[in-house]
Amino acid sequence: MIREEAIKIPFQYAAGTAGSEFLINLRDHRQLTGSRCSDCERTLAPARAYCPDCGREGLHSVNIGPGAELVSWTIVPDKGVFALVRPDGADTAMLHKLLGPIDDPQPGIRLQVVFREERSGHINDIEGFAIVQENGE
Amino acid sequence: MRTIRIAGVGETGPVQQDRRSIPEMVLGAVDLALADAQIGHGEIDSVVTASVDLFDGLTASNIAVTEVVGAVMKPEARIAGDGLAATVHGACQIWAHAYDTVLVVAHAKTSMAANGKLTQWAMDPIHLQPLGVNFSAAAGLQANVLAQHDRHAEKRWARLSCERRAAGTSGMAKKLSQSEILASEITTSPLRNGMCAPLGDGACAVVLQAGSNAGGPVLSGVGHDLEAHGLGDRNLVHWAGLTRAFDRACRVANLPPADARFDLAEPSCFYPHEEELFLRATGIDGGTVISPDGGLMAGCVPVVAGMSRLVAAFKWLRQTGNAGKRALVHGHWGPAGQAQAVAIVDGGL
Repeated sequence: MIREEAIKIPFQYAAGTAGSEFLINLRDHRQLTGSRCSDCERTLAPARAYCPDCGREGLHSVNIGPGAELVSWTIVPDKGVFALVRPDGADTAMLHKLLGPIDDPQPGIRLQVVFREERSGHINDIEGFAIVQENGE
Repeated sequence: MRTIRIAGVGETGPVQQDRRSIPEMVLGAVDLALADAQIGHGEIDSVVTASVDLFDGLTASNIAVTEVVGAVMKPEARIAGDGLAATVHGACQIWAHAYDTVLVVAHAKTSMAANGKLTQWAMDPIHLQPLGVNFSAAAGLQANVLAQHDRHAEKRWARLSCERRAAGTSGMAKKLSQSEILASEITTSPLRNGMCAPLGDGACAVVLQAGSNAGGPVLSGVGHDLEAHGLGDRNLVHWAGLTRAFDRACRVANLPPADARFDLAEPSCFYPHEEELFLRATGIDGGTVISPDGGLMAGCVPVVAGMSRLVAAFKWLRQTGNAGKRALVHGHWGPAGQAQAVAIVDGGL
């Protein structure tokens, strides 16, 4: 016999100080936030409370984006296109969605973050990153 | 340092669906390993198990396997990662003189739930999980980085997948030609269905014992390493964590990493580009036999994966003519190889 069951338990995940600042800035200012590590002199995207490389805490928040550069992407049927994008001013990439239409994307192509009109302090306040056309649109 | 003998191994699977309960499936592997080692439960000093509660839908270490691994009233440690990492910890217990005989067990049943949905829940809950990203998407992002400047990559990966599938004997992997693989549906581009190791159910058990190499293969070196969770924080072109784990294992085995030579390599590759990452990270060259039984491409059980490679290496070293040879075993877990483990196994006298 095999018993079928679905586990449905609501959780409350704390975003942490830097994570909360990142989400609040998405919601209230349509702004991407990174963290600057004064030890390894890297700006990390998205914002975080400590540097994953050197372990330093107390990083400084900095504005990054709204422009970005495409690092990698993967097309997932029924889910869209996930992309690693490096926001302007950041040394690391963040993962989000690449907005279409997408015709043969290339690494290094210019992108622009697109925010949703309705925002709630959630990673999906970002609709995704759109390819900037040659005329700048 | 004490010599650690691999005294016995046992495995059930991989199969597409094992309709037994988790304890029954695990017990099958444990019984085989104990029989192979010619010992009973009473001679086990300590147990290390590898399982992921999220994948099991229950806290398997407490509910499902404690009794069948013989851990009641004994020390049991649980690793939420690949079984090869559990083997690393089991070996360290013996090298620390804490115990003489350690049973290491790993299990998973991917037939219980959609693996893609489970691995989505293994991603960061603030920035990644709500997007729908899972381990498969992470693999696609990594493969894409490798393929960006390599127009032959997809054909090469299809050929490698074809060869590995053809070598498999588990019955899980459908034999596919290179062109069939290239025509199979996209899962997470540039990866296609035919390039993905078929997932299934299974368990592995290994008995580690302080002793000598007179009785068979020995565990000469182990190492493991974790990278940052975020893919954007890593250089996806290189499995730097594997290089560090490999260097540590070589140091334990008193081998200079740059000059270490292996007769057999058993990498854990859920996708063909991972075999190239493995070769790049370890410096393995053409003189090494790689996955003669098809590796994970012939049938793959996450969590058990690296330990199944240890069992495969052990069996290869026990074959006639392979005594005295050396094998490199690999396991990884997490998105795009976030965590890496390595074991060096030397054939017995």
